[in-house]
Amino acid sequence: MSGNDFPVLEEAVRALMGRRVSIIVASRDADHRPHLMRAIGWRPSADHRRVSVLMTARTSSQVLDDVRSNRTIAVVFSEPTTHHSVQLKGSDAVIEPTVAGDGQLIDTYARRLAEELGQLGYSPAFAHALLDHSESEVVAVTFTPTHAFEQTPGPRAGRPLAQRAG
Amino acid sequence: MSLGVDSIRECLEGTIPAMVATCSADGTPNVAYLSQVEYVDSGHVALSFQFFNKTRQNILVNPWVEILVIHPVTAAMYRVRARYLRTEEEGPLYERMKAKLAGIASHTGMAGVFRLLGSDIYAVQSIEPTGTRSLGEPSPGLNRLAALRRALAKLAAANDLELLLERLLDALALDFGIEHAIVLMVDASRERLYTVASRGYGASGVGSEIGFGQGVIGVAANARTPVRICHLTLDRTYSQAIREGVESSGNAAAIEREIAWPGLAEPHSQLAVPVCSGEDLLGVVFVESGQALRFTYDDEDALLGLATHLGVAMRQLQTSADTPDEVAALHKGASQPRGEPVRVRYFDADGSVFVGDEYLIKGVAGAILWKLLREHRQSGRVDFTNRELRLAGDIRLPDVSDNLEARLVLLTRRLAERGGCLSIEKTGRGRFRLIVERPLLLEAAGQRTPGATPPR
Repeated sequence: MSGNDFPVLEEAVRALMGRRVSIIVASRDADHRPHLMRAIGWRPSADHRRVSVLMTARTSSQVLDDVRSNRTIAVVFSEPTTHHSVQLKGSDAVIEPTVAGDGQLIDTYARRLAEELGQLGYSPAFAHALLDHSESEVVAVTFTPTHAFEQTPGPRAGRPLAQRAG
Repeated sequence: MSLGVDSIRECLEGTIPAMVATCSADGTPNVAYLSQVEYVDSGHVALSFQFFNKTRQNILVNPWVEILVIHPVTAAMYRVRARYLRTEEEGPLYERMKAKLAGIASHTGMAGVFRLLGSDIYAVQSIEPTGTRSLGEPSPGLNRLAALRRALAKLAAANDLELLLERLLDALALDFGIEHAIVLMVDASRERLYTVASRGYGASGVGSEIGFGQGVIGVAANARTPVRICHLTLDRTYSQAIREGVESSGNAAAIEREIAWPGLAEPHSQLAVPVCSGEDLLGVVFVESGQALRFTYDDEDALLGLATHLGVAMRQLQTSADTPDEVAALHKGASQPRGEPVRVRYFDADGSVFVGDEYLIKGVAGAILWKLLREHRQSGRVDFTNRELRLAGDIRLPDVSDNLEARLVLLTRRLAERGGCLSIEKTGRGRFRLIVERPLLLEAAGQRTPGATPPR
């Protein structure tokens, strides 16, 4: 892989920014058993090289334990009305405390996802129940995406979009 | 304690896609959306295998998965941990999933993209709530167990097939609130089903036919499994509404031998449940609605329970119908035919009967009517028994297990709807009377039968 792949991967991250997406985070334990949970928001780093997904510690304990032990992660971002989906994978994930502004970010994320699900007939209360949390229990799981995959349902799902030199 | 799959069936209706996590041999996790998670039993689910994707590659080397499902009303989320066992590429489960996927595909704009290659069966290890907030209990709906109990009480009082079918349609409408229902009986030798009763349509459609394998009804008959589609499907495989040109018979000379299917042109929910007696398929109960997601797993269970009872009751009635009441039927003076003669034509090739220029019926029911009319002409007889028809060599009942009573119900209904001067009246168990109100001119296979009333 050449350095030329970097902008492509960052482009995949940048392209997600305007979209109202559901976020599902997967990990695996020492026995290679997979685990998953919904995230309640996300943010890219300023240079788009790293991505942080915000998760509720209480309901994501297995995923967070896995990340602590092996740092491997897969995250799917999917736009419910179009099924447009992208999967990012990385192997350097770390769990960090939230930063100033994350509370606001989560609120905005919830409002926009509620708008998206509203187009499919779901009430705002439904979306907010899916994203239920208390601010004190939110953590950020931050990783450098090394692979991006097309994940829109269909025969092309799983096709690599970009890969970072390793 | 871990929940069973029974407890989360509403999450599996496909309203909100589930997500599955798998893990590759090198320890890389993967997430994918699932278009379909099907209930198999309390300890198993089946996922649709549609593409040779990463999920597929992973489960073949590492069978463990975790699935996240969402309750479509309460938003409660559950984590299902499961282990891949095997893939089925045919059979009842596969057919059920294939039909349901056709509805999901059309609903999600994925018609032509989603195609079922197999049903991947998983053993469920645990089901746990994720601990997120839920919106409370869904509003209480119909109690299907109570509805089933009331429906079975209605069926228990029926002492012949016609009444049994009436009671069944009453129960579906009153106890289950189902507005559109059709009962079909099997014609095993022709691998077809014919409508014997319906409720909730402009025209009854009695006598209309569905081939085995055609639409949700034909698939349910073939696979002997309930088939349920929760959305309007664009996939013609699952469409019953194949109108066979009956509406366009503005030309009186056109010889039309099909009866129009009565069902909805664009059903958003369909459920077909087989009616069996032991190994034998007797028929299919079909319900539909203009509303998406109208029928649930619980409806499927309740209607299958009802259909199972129906199968037993049909077999019992069939046996007793061949033992006519000893009490002689009341011989009220048979009215003399009067007025202009009516031509009745019979085509031996398919047993079809036309009254005047109008198609009435074909097949076994047509042959029965023709036999009755000939007997009537020769001896003036009007009273008949089911038993003599079953023993008669000239009406070609496919086999002794064929439901003669169902053929008579079909014939009676068609005569009531289209027979004009002809009708059949039940006179007791296993007995009935042919009523002929006008002189008849009988013609077989287009030839005038010798001795028939001269043409007008």
